[in-house]
Amino acid sequence: MLRAAAIVEKMGVPTASIIGSGFLKQAEVILKGIGVPLAIGVYPGAPMVDSEAELMRKVEESLAPGLLKGITGDAPVEGDTSVEPQAGAVVFSGSYDDVQEYFYRNLWTDGLPVTPPTRERVDAFLAFTERKADEVLRVIPQEGREASILSIAVNGVMAGCRPEYMPVLIAIVDALCDPKYRVEDSGSTPGWEPVVIVNGPIVKELDFNYGQGVMRVGRQANTSIGRFVRMYLRNICGFRIPPGAGDKGSIGQTFLVAMAEDEDSAAAVGWPTYAEDRGFKKGENIVTVHSVVAITSPMYSGGDDAKTHVQQWTDIIGGSFTYWAHTGFKTGLWSPLIIAGPSIAGVIAKEWSKDQVRQYMYDHMKVTAAKATHYAQMTSTPTFNFESLVEQGILPPSYTESKDPQRLVNVLIKPEMVEILVAGDPGRNQSRAYMSNHVQGPPTSRKVELPKNWAQLVSASKK
Amino acid sequence: MTAKNEPQYDVLWPLSRKAVKKTAAAPRVPDLNGKTIVELWDVIFRGETIYPLVREYIKKRFPGVKFVPYTEIGNFHGAREREVTATIPDKIRHFKADAAIVGIGA
Repeated sequence: MLRAAAIVEKMGVPTASIIGSGFLKQAEVILKGIGVPLAIGVYPGAPMVDSEAELMRKVEESLAPGLLKGITGDAPVEGDTSVEPQAGAVVFSGSYDDVQEYFYRNLWTDGLPVTPPTRERVDAFLAFTERKADEVLRVIPQEGREASILSIAVNGVMAGCRPEYMPVLIAIVDALCDPKYRVEDSGSTPGWEPVVIVNGPIVKELDFNYGQGVMRVGRQANTSIGRFVRMYLRNICGFRIPPGAGDKGSIGQTFLVAMAEDEDSAAAVGWPTYAEDRGFKKGENIVTVHSVVAITSPMYSGGDDAKTHVQQWTDIIGGSFTYWAHTGFKTGLWSPLIIAGPSIAGVIAKEWSKDQVRQYMYDHMKVTAAKATHYAQMTSTPTFNFESLVEQGILPPSYTESKDPQRLVNVLIKPEMVEILVAGDPGRNQSRAYMSNHVQGPPTSRKVELPKNWAQLVSASKK
Repeated sequence: MTAKNEPQYDVLWPLSRKAVKKTAAAPRVPDLNGKTIVELWDVIFRGETIYPLVREYIKKRFPGVKFVPYTEIGNFHGAREREVTATIPDKIRHFKADAAIVGIGA
């Protein structure tokens, strides 16, 4: 929102922005990254829970006077005069414990001990890429910091990654930097968390877990790479919880360990891999970054026919995700990512392709228009209505074929929004699904670029 | 905390350079009579109630002010965010905006 104000202000037109008092620290961080001071009118508290009378009083007594002053009074001035170290500078020398304390006090850690990012350790990471340390992938909007190769190496060291993960880390940050991914929305109130999905031979080369216990901490590649993502979002992208600022997740999630596909099982059942579904070739090393705002309960399903399993998925995913699907209705995008247990994938794939699964779920996951409208109105949008969304072309006309509030509408906007990956415990009949946060953090993939001497480097690192 | 003979670590700064081009704020408009305020709204957090109240408050003090309602710019948040945001400069020029009110972050 402040970014829109900045566009106008930079045109020489004075602006005043409406900010809730609970968002002032968030605004402070964003203001440092957009490069122009902005005037703010404060709405005390949260407008979504105030009575009409209370809202009128707050506008009259606080918000409107603040906005008027912002436009007619003194121009706001730049408040950030801090001087920062140079990239790559040594900022501290001390013992292991001293380093932990120093980093923690400066809000540079996630609260757990970090591996001290010494020059030697960072250089070991840089040896696994042919890109220059000062190469910048993008300036990240939130704080306006450079996503440099060096910053990836430093935070990779801190998160406990191994040097040979560096090509994966670069691909992850490159995906985060894709404007379509909208990394600048990583601190929004739903508190969504990215998950990294890994495909290709690198899954085995780097020893990712894709079997029993997948998504649990305990395997270095999965765990440290998941931790790296949260560390990078904190340090470079600027999303810190109090006493820091920038991360406005109201009740956030912790980091998710990286997810890897059981490609042998996918091949055995005859389904394309997740990366192939996304247009990549078999054998390519691919990472996909994907927002996760909600996770289903474990989905147990039994029987030896496809429909019984997919019906169970539809019931559980519909039950878990239908509420938040209104955010997808508003933006035209959301997706359930299903981790299909290998044994279940085997049963379904005997009869149905992935597209048949998608079509069944699209056809059978429904909600009444009244219920979906109610959910949207409760969250943030009292003006939500399907008619307007269809009129704007965000939703297809099927959503307004009837005016009956009790009509059933599709929870999934398109069948192809359903994503399926095979992983988990081959000895149990369990699956699980992960919901993306509409247009914030849509699945975004990058090929992992390995250095020419990759095999030699990996071999040397394992000695 | 430091024990004798414990290894010492020289550690690198874990952040990166800020690459922000700084611009001064626009000059303010002390008298809004005869001026145009353009509204921008991201269609959340009860703006449909808040904006009319703000309009009323400012008009009481500057009766000659003109407002361009938020519907003219469109929702710059959500499905059409990038497309709508790209049109903001042209629309600001088109409406000859002297000031703008932007919301709502709450």
